[in-house]
Amino acid sequence: MAAVTQPEVLMEPSPYAMDKKKLGMWVFIISDACTFAAFLFAYGYMRVGAPVWGTPFGVSSIVNGMVMTAVLLSSSLTMLAAVRAAQNGTKASTNKWLGITMLLGAIFAALHLREWFKLIGEGWRLFYNPTGGAAQFGACFFSVTGLHMTHVVTGVIALAFVARGFNQGRYDDSHVETAGLYWHFVDIVWMFVFPLMYLMNAH
Amino acid sequence: MSSNRELAMSSYVGIGIGLMVIVGIEVILTYQHLPTRTLLFSLLCLGGLEAFVAIMYLMQVKYEKPILFWTVFPATLFVFVFLCYLWPDAFRMFNMRLMQ
Repeated sequence: MAAVTQPEVLMEPSPYAMDKKKLGMWVFIISDACTFAAFLFAYGYMRVGAPVWGTPFGVSSIVNGMVMTAVLLSSSLTMLAAVRAAQNGTKASTNKWLGITMLLGAIFAALHLREWFKLIGEGWRLFYNPTGGAAQFGACFFSVTGLHMTHVVTGVIALAFVARGFNQGRYDDSHVETAGLYWHFVDIVWMFVFPLMYLMNAH
Repeated sequence: MSSNRELAMSSYVGIGIGLMVIVGIEVILTYQHLPTRTLLFSLLCLGGLEAFVAIMYLMQVKYEKPILFWTVFPATLFVFVFLCYLWPDAFRMFNMRLMQ
C-alpha cells in the first residue's frame, strides 16, 4: 500500500537531483533567454543595416546605467542572503532580505523609468528619431528595456507573494530558492542589455 | 541540490564587486573610441564573462550536478549560434549602403 500512497517510490529519481520547481524554473529561464537573445539579435541586425543610427546617451545616462547595474547586482546579493536565511529557517531574516531585494528592484525600475522619460522628453518615440537618423532605435530600445523592466516588476511581485507565503508557512526554502533563480536571471540579462543598448549607443 | 561547499556571503560580495569592476571596464572601453566591431566584440566577451560568473556562482550551477550544466548550456549556446543566420543579410544591407 505504501507504493500506492507514495508513487514516487516507484519512479526512478531525477538525474538532476533537484526540486521539480527549480527544474521547471530552469526550463523557463532557458526559453526566456532565447526570447531575449532573439530581441538582441534583431536589434543587432537593424543596427548594422541602418544607414545612420541614433546615439542619444550622454555621460549622465551612462552613469545612471552604472548605478542601475550596481543596484541590480546588489539585489542579487541580497537575494542570496534571503535564500541562505530561508534555508536556515529564520523567517524574520528571510523577510528582511526579500524586502530589501524588492526595494532594490523597485529602485531599478524607477531609475529606468527616469531614463525612459528623459528620452521621451527629448522626442524619442517607438517609431521616431528626433535626430533624423534610423527610426528603429526607439523601437529597439523601448522593446528590449521594456521587456527587461517587465521582468523586474514581475520579479518584485513574485517575491512579494513568496515572502507572504513563506511568512505564513505555506512556502518553504525551495520556493525562495526558485524565485532567487529567476531574480539572478534578470540580473544576467541586464549584463547584456546595458552594454548593447546603452554603451553601444553612447555619444 | 545546493551543497555545503557553497561560498561564504563575504565571497559573494567579492564576486559582486568583481562584476562591477567588469562593468567599469566596459564603460572605459566605450570612451576609448574603438571601431564599432572591436567595441561590440569586447563588450560581448566581457558580458559573457560576467554572465558565466553569475550563472556559476550566483545561480549556483557550480554546486549542482554537472548534468544540469551539460544539458542546459550547450543547447542554449547552440540556439544563440543559430541566430547568427541573420548577420549575412545585415552585412548585405551594410555593403549595399556603401556602394550607393
